[in-house]
Amino acid sequence: MLTLRKLDIAAYVIFIVLIMLAPLVFDPFWLNRIAKYLVYGMLGVAIALSWGYAGILNLGQGLFFGIGAYMLAMSLKLASPTSLAQGSDTPVPDFMLWNAEPGAPTALCCINRGSFLWMPFQSQWFGMAMGILLPVALASLIGWVMFRKRISGVFISIITLALVLLVRLVVIDAQPLTNGFNGLTDLGWLTIAGFEFDPYVVPTYYLVAISLALVLVAARLLIETRAGLILQAIRDDDRRARYLGFDVPIYQLFFFAVSAGIAGLAGMLYVVASEFASPTFMDLAFSITMVVWAAVGGRASLLGACIGAILINTIEATVSETEAFVEAWKAIIGLIFILVVIFLPRGLAGLSTDIAEWALARLPKGVAPRGAAPRRDVQPAE
Amino acid sequence: MAEPAALTVEALAVDFNGLRAVDGVSMVVEKGELRVLLGANGAGKTTLMDLVSGKTKSTEGRVFLYDAEITNWEEHRVARAGIGRKFQIPSVFKDLTVRRNLEVASCEKTGVLANLGFGFSSDAEARVGEVLRLVGLEELADRPATSLSHGQTQWLELGMLIVQNRSVLLLDEPTAGMTQAETHKTAQLINRLKGQHTILVVEHDMAFVREIAERITVMHLGRVLAEGSVAEIEQNEDVRRAYLGSAVIHGQPEPPC
Repeated sequence: MLTLRKLDIAAYVIFIVLIMLAPLVFDPFWLNRIAKYLVYGMLGVAIALSWGYAGILNLGQGLFFGIGAYMLAMSLKLASPTSLAQGSDTPVPDFMLWNAEPGAPTALCCINRGSFLWMPFQSQWFGMAMGILLPVALASLIGWVMFRKRISGVFISIITLALVLLVRLVVIDAQPLTNGFNGLTDLGWLTIAGFEFDPYVVPTYYLVAISLALVLVAARLLIETRAGLILQAIRDDDRRARYLGFDVPIYQLFFFAVSAGIAGLAGMLYVVASEFASPTFMDLAFSITMVVWAAVGGRASLLGACIGAILINTIEATVSETEAFVEAWKAIIGLIFILVVIFLPRGLAGLSTDIAEWALARLPKGVAPRGAAPRRDVQPAE
Repeated sequence: MAEPAALTVEALAVDFNGLRAVDGVSMVVEKGELRVLLGANGAGKTTLMDLVSGKTKSTEGRVFLYDAEITNWEEHRVARAGIGRKFQIPSVFKDLTVRRNLEVASCEKTGVLANLGFGFSSDAEARVGEVLRLVGLEELADRPATSLSHGQTQWLELGMLIVQNRSVLLLDEPTAGMTQAETHKTAQLINRLKGQHTILVVEHDMAFVREIAERITVMHLGRVLAEGSVAEIEQNEDVRRAYLGSAVIHGQPEPPC
């Protein structure tokens, strides 16, 4: 029997197959672009997990994305040829030298007051681990305070929104350590087991695509567990869940932290594909744009939110080629958001579910298996 | 030695900035007993349930579940200790199917890590199936809870408590908004639970109360006014006076619930 569930799984399979086949069609320039969109898709998954399934609207997801990006970028900055060629035993980022006080020692330990914090990042593995662990730890801390205090709804949005702006300010302000507004540029390539991930080669695309596929499948499996079901129950009525004996804050915290970890991973992959990390990752507009992607794609669907993110960014890239649209883009995106909220509250995913339901209801019994047969006949002819 | 009572409330009181919604209530509910809490609006019945189940923190007094003191525990700990609660406004997980609602209730382990597995034990599934039949929602098992009628939603919530199999059940107006037929069915359901669970029911509907009650506790203005069998309560002069004209007798409006 053809069921909604089977169609849903088929959609995941088709999506993953498509992103795996993309290198057959696109040139390296476009592949690099698509890799970035897939990273945005991963952010869509993170948003859907916390907003759609946990009912936590995080307006500061860019915080975790930005931290993930900076952690890996610090390691990659130290691996950059310019950092290695500063005549010191340890690599030193160029911007630290430009801003160093006269007579300061040219070593990572003590070129300025906080530079020792960079020392462990000489190990790329440390940077990669921190790119996930720090967002998860920070989310757990914030979550522990918010959820224990039973803060919910719009107040969570306000707190997360304020936090991302706060951290952005700190990053910009700690100029000697972070290169402030300019962010971290001129990075080395991610190197795993001797392989260098040049952003414009196919393996780098696959690094991103496979990561996204794994995140999608893992997140989907996670919400199919009993814990995922209980989480959705909590979203619907947290009081009822408490009275059934569930420690609600622990559940919210767990999924909030998982969502942060996914955002951190996305931040790292973005650095690999784009070769920079910048405080703009923590701009308010970026965090809110992520929510729009998820809303358009369908916040109650992990795949929907992912596709929403990819779709909007692809459209944006195409539209931006036309001069007149560049300025108007923000207005267009705003308009799309309003229209979706009013007419498609469950987003594109909700729309396709409705269509699938409608079609299934009209399929006479027994037709579904036979319906697939003619298609198989067509294929050899193509 | 005699078995300890299932639920013991000792001089329980709460002070909301001078308003004592529950003002020194003491009550003993024996194991397996079905006790009805009666009282006009604002008598403090729901507040008493809030105090017992941990939603509101009491300012005086103590609550015991069998031997264990559970005064002012957090809701989920009270629930785990063995008290299930049904709310006045039915409270279910609206976007989940009826079966899913019961499955959530059937989770014996409550931790997030313990629940990172898939599916439910055959024992849990069997209990869910049994309760679906018991509350008569078998046909609707795969519909989202939001599509249920008001009465069906009440039964679903009751079903969640039955799946959980807590020893003490607090039922806050389980027949609110029900038709006569639905009320009768609810009474049958509750009568079936009698004996297996200790039940405390808040109710207004006297017909329903007569159908289920053994002992009744009448509350008035945050205190216990009378306690006894149905017949005794119906004869009680204090109760009659309180029901007919509390505002007149005490010369002031009743405090809100």
